[in-house]
Amino acid sequence: MSVSPLVSIKNLHATAGETPILQGIDLEIGAGEIHAIMGPNGSGKSTLSNVLVGKPGYEVTQGEVSFRGENLVEMDPEIRAREGVFLAFQYPVEIPGVANNYFLRTAVNAIREHRGDEDLDAIDFLNLLKEKMKLVEMPEDMMGRAINEGFSGGEKKRNEILQMLLLEPSFCILDETDSGLDIDALRIVANGVNQMRSSDRAMLVITHYQRLLDYIVPDYVHVLSNGRIVKSGDKSLALELEAKGYGWIDGIDDDAAGVKNGAASAGAPS
Amino acid sequence: MSAAVDSLARLRKNIGTERASSVPATEVATRLETMHTEGIAAFAEIGLPSRREERWKGTNLSALGAMDFARIGTGTAAPNASVVDSLQSVDADLLFVDGRMVRASADRAALPEGTRVLSLFEASLEAPQLVAANLGCLADSKTDALVALNGALFEDVAVIELAPNAKPDRALRIVSYSTSLTGAEGTASASFPRLLVVAGEGAEASVLFENEVKGEAPGYTGLVSEFLLSANARVEFIESQSGPSKRIHVTQTFARVERDAHFDSHIFTLGEGLVRNELSVDLQGPAATTRMHGFFLGSGSAHHDHFTTVDHAAPHCSSDQEYRGVLGDKSAGVFRGRVIVRPGAPKTDARQSNPNILLSDSASIDTKPQLEIYADDIKASHGSTIGQLDTEALFFLRARGIGESDARLLMTRGFAQTIVDGVGDEAARVLIGERVDAALSSLQSSASSMRPGSSPRRDSA
Repeated sequence: MSVSPLVSIKNLHATAGETPILQGIDLEIGAGEIHAIMGPNGSGKSTLSNVLVGKPGYEVTQGEVSFRGENLVEMDPEIRAREGVFLAFQYPVEIPGVANNYFLRTAVNAIREHRGDEDLDAIDFLNLLKEKMKLVEMPEDMMGRAINEGFSGGEKKRNEILQMLLLEPSFCILDETDSGLDIDALRIVANGVNQMRSSDRAMLVITHYQRLLDYIVPDYVHVLSNGRIVKSGDKSLALELEAKGYGWIDGIDDDAAGVKNGAASAGAPS
Repeated sequence: MSAAVDSLARLRKNIGTERASSVPATEVATRLETMHTEGIAAFAEIGLPSRREERWKGTNLSALGAMDFARIGTGTAAPNASVVDSLQSVDADLLFVDGRMVRASADRAALPEGTRVLSLFEASLEAPQLVAANLGCLADSKTDALVALNGALFEDVAVIELAPNAKPDRALRIVSYSTSLTGAEGTASASFPRLLVVAGEGAEASVLFENEVKGEAPGYTGLVSEFLLSANARVEFIESQSGPSKRIHVTQTFARVERDAHFDSHIFTLGEGLVRNELSVDLQGPAATTRMHGFFLGSGSAHHDHFTTVDHAAPHCSSDQEYRGVLGDKSAGVFRGRVIVRPGAPKTDARQSNPNILLSDSASIDTKPQLEIYADDIKASHGSTIGQLDTEALFFLRARGIGESDARLLMTRGFAQTIVDGVGDEAARVLIGERVDAALSSLQSSASSMRPGSSPRRDSA
């Protein structure tokens, strides 16, 4: 394909605090594609998502990320969001006193303004909100409550997907959105995500479990280990991982990523 | 006694006789005369509060002593006419300017029977006994210099009488303007508004008292409010104030709450002035309850001091104190919360909380609870926190496209919202919410260089 990918990650190295986590990630995600990232604990999955949205405390030390040809690393988090990058958080925060609906309208209008669209007034916003809430089966009374305050784990995740539906990002990152969800909540969340599938939108789905990928079927599956992609394949790779674990993959150490890392730099003084 | 306050008292020494002769009822005149005499004498003896006193450690009133009150009018001088004219649109049951009633609303007549909102003159005609028996009965001139000062120099009183089971369907609204318009440089103005609320058994009402200041010159406002709640009464008191940097505002509120009655206080302090808010609630009857809530937002070089006392004197009483502070620029906050549980007050439930957010490195807060518990089988909790805005939450909002300063504003507003939402009267809640929003927005726009930083935290338990 001669069309440049929506997201292009090249030789990405990043630290969390002082610790090097990402050790050279190469990944291209085209519009319309869904990529899944799997991998053992500590392999760098969450760091990757945090780096992509510019969370403070994470630093890119080498390599680059371009989004629609623009250097993503240089952008403030709010600019990335306005440009169309969205992360559904693994652990959504609670913000007491800030009403969900007021927050959502502020966010929607910040993004509309960036795109050169008029602000939505209260009525138009409410109609849009009601329409999207139906998709994630959220009761209307949740909107007047403070952001995520007193929400169950499943409600928080649905609220994340609701935000995604409202903000209509072009690059959606889902960070273990399935964690802590029962099967009904998982179905609801997956339905919401599938509503977003389109030919001009890309998704990066980070998960521990094949289960989510039964609902959100990926085009590509990558295995992350020690901050690198060590294997890529199609959706069948996820099934294989489910059956066999990670141990069989070349370049992976099943339960101790750190040990493998140490072995690779065996020449260094210890 | 400081020279400035001495001169203030001297210049106004005729106030006592003037105000006593201006009321038609003898018993009221006698009461006013006594308060004046006692106030002058007590103030002369006690003098201005000093930081050597434990309860004034956090706040320095020397600016009051230094004010030049030389141009103060006497009690017969009319309030500033141009100020009165400029307040035509103010919609209040009673409008006070510099401590004197200048207008009453037409709506006042439509209040249901049993609810009366009166000036001192009107009250001495319509309810002389009520005034003579209750004015000054909670606020003690003999031990408190600032109560004494008000007692000596007040010129009018907003009197609210709620007959047993009176339940007005709207908040009773009093607006009090203090003018700081004295022409010559270095001069100051003073006003001494006063409020008396007497609620009969089973009465329910919300009282909104707004303190406003006209002008930027130095000045002093000393408000004394007294609330007497009979059994089963429920009174909500919402007070707001916002003053310029050279204004000193002291609010002293006293409430006596009898059996099964509830006193609900919400005080909102915005602006740049030096403010001292004292609230003293006596839970006198079994199962009396109180909520003591406050939000303060300091900007510029504001100094906002809250000093509360709740006295649990009967069993099964509860008190819920929550004062939330946001301090920006170089402002300082002080919170002293005293909880007394007397031997005769088992099954007390006393809660106290003072969370604060500092928006700048130069802002500060000094917070200290003080529990004096002499009864067994009670529940008491207190805690104070000092922090910056939560960085995780801030990032979350930014990750949704909201710019950093808007995200901070949203969160600070959220922090205040809990207190605003506690206001029961809807109209008052909306009004106060808008003022808090406006004050937060203007503070935020003046403080663009705040650092995200870690959250130092101090808990006491």
